[in-house]
Amino acid sequence: MKRYDLIVVGAGPAGLSAAIEAAQCGLNTVVFDENANPGGQLFKQVHKFFGSKEHKAKVRGFRIGSELLAEAQKLGIEVVLKATVVGLFPDKEITVRVDDTIRHYKGDTIVVATGAAENVVPFPGWTLPGVIGAGAAQTMMNLQGIVPGKKILMLGSGNVGLVVSYQLMQVGCEVLALVDAAPKIGGYGVHASKLARMGVPFYVSHTIMKAEGTDHVTGVTIGEVDKDWKIVHGTERHFDVDTICMAVGLSPMAQLFKMAGCQMEDSALKSGYVPVCNEYGETSIPGVFAAGDVSGVEEASSAMLEGRMASVAAAEYLGFITKAELAEKARKLKGALQSLREGMFAVENRDKILDKTEEGYDISKHLLKTGFFLEEELAKYPGVTKQNGIHAVIECSQNIPCNPCQDACPKGCIQIGAKITSLPVMDEGKTCNGCGLCVVSCSGQAIFLVNEEYEDGYASVTMPYEILPLPARGDKGWALDRSGEKVCQAEVVSVKTAPAFDHTHLLTIKVPQDMAMKARFFKGGSFYA
Amino acid sequence: MNMRITEHPILGKIEKGQLVKFTYNDTELMGYEGEPISAALRAAGVMVHRHTAKLGEPRGVFCAIGRCTDCVMVVNGKPNIRTCITPLTAGMSVQTQYGNAVNPNGKRRERYEKI
Repeated sequence: MKRYDLIVVGAGPAGLSAAIEAAQCGLNTVVFDENANPGGQLFKQVHKFFGSKEHKAKVRGFRIGSELLAEAQKLGIEVVLKATVVGLFPDKEITVRVDDTIRHYKGDTIVVATGAAENVVPFPGWTLPGVIGAGAAQTMMNLQGIVPGKKILMLGSGNVGLVVSYQLMQVGCEVLALVDAAPKIGGYGVHASKLARMGVPFYVSHTIMKAEGTDHVTGVTIGEVDKDWKIVHGTERHFDVDTICMAVGLSPMAQLFKMAGCQMEDSALKSGYVPVCNEYGETSIPGVFAAGDVSGVEEASSAMLEGRMASVAAAEYLGFITKAELAEKARKLKGALQSLREGMFAVENRDKILDKTEEGYDISKHLLKTGFFLEEELAKYPGVTKQNGIHAVIECSQNIPCNPCQDACPKGCIQIGAKITSLPVMDEGKTCNGCGLCVVSCSGQAIFLVNEEYEDGYASVTMPYEILPLPARGDKGWALDRSGEKVCQAEVVSVKTAPAFDHTHLLTIKVPQDMAMKARFFKGGSFYA
Repeated sequence: MNMRITEHPILGKIEKGQLVKFTYNDTELMGYEGEPISAALRAAGVMVHRHTAKLGEPRGVFCAIGRCTDCVMVVNGKPNIRTCITPLTAGMSVQTQYGNAVNPNGKRRERYEKI
């Protein structure tokens, strides 16, 4: 039986961060993961993260994964793959299945970071081939290089449903509808807006009634639900789809804690059955810690911080660092975690429909139902100003923990302030030079550059663009509004690409002047088709 | 209908291993060595991986990460192989699974019938 100072179960964002922090504190550490590749879900995440610099904001998930792996490697951390931890015992011993053998290890401390599993919603036909988890769609597209289907319906409008729908569109799939039984879109408004302006319709207060097909999915019927979650007769609607994706939440995979005899709780706020933990993630068994989704479903940024938190506590438990060092490290980590847990999407605001932002601005109800703003709502936000010449228009209306736009502007035009969830404010006293760095830094793709004086009678609109084929200068096509409707003809006048933009291109189109605040997406093709 | 992504707007060109032959039931198909068997099948348009033991219902990939076991097939004669996490190798034999068998009439698990 081999012995380690720390055994980490799971090589995702929480587990790798825990191992890195522990190794830096001097603990002899090993990581076990059941998968063939480390990194957990990070390598499927091709979108840019939210948060601030310390949370690796505006960095794409898979790059964060690579960074963590490189760091772990540099520290010489042992990562054992295809190794399923099948047992955790109260005295901090584990059993691991590798191939067809069971091995036995002892840890003086343990961090379990096993993550979460996707939930399902059963409906007639839900077991048909072609009904898949949203995570499966992401795995197929971004790891395996295949599309899960051509015509897709997404069930669930939380961030997973929104982000995966966008990724499906990026690889050429058609998302015919985004359906959610709740009366509002569950995820970030900015994620929903990306889909809405590409023409994806949202059906809130709707659910799937049945999947059609004998051998595989050939269609789906949805219907509206009333307050009691019953289908309203006569609201049935059919779509020809070959794939139905489910993004209906995640549940912590906390079986190992239960097995070890940790005190457990069933918590709706934490999305399921989780161990009872203290502020460091320590369970009722001293020296056994939980980090990441397994201790309550959040996202990768907080998982990384929780992993570090568990390890510094483990290091103190074993005497590698002093109580004072623990207090100092924990204070910083807690501050970073706290900032991620504030705002409109904080746990305490779940399922609430808020009327005002923290600053007192009206929250768009229209956005929550359709994924896009009405133009008259937009003008009220502090990031949306009307100025002469080129300037940024920030269509950001929710208190989300995110601030890269503030750092991106070399002219200091954008202010968020100390509170990371505050809405960005355009400083009208400063002059935008039209560099577009804010546009590419916005993880929510909610910033546009508008110049109403581009040419006599014409305005230019610069947007973030991540779809192939990339339009070229001189291409003609349609400007789409925020709802994905064609509103006018448009011509591409510039396409900027740079390594620092990280595959988000700056696409500038020329539109009639009165379309400057309407045109938000470009679709190539003949004017007369 | 090509299901393979050749160029991803963020990830760029998708690197794959070598194109190899394998058999699906008795048909010869091509796939990339090292990719999950399920990926090669999906690219070839195969959706049904198995039929359930009791009702004979079709099942395919659901989770794609080896958790749900809905995509199991008979691989090189061995049943219950999770095709979504088992890498394809040249010359592999992949067969639709009926219950635990490759034979549609073998729906019932004979072992259990004896008990």
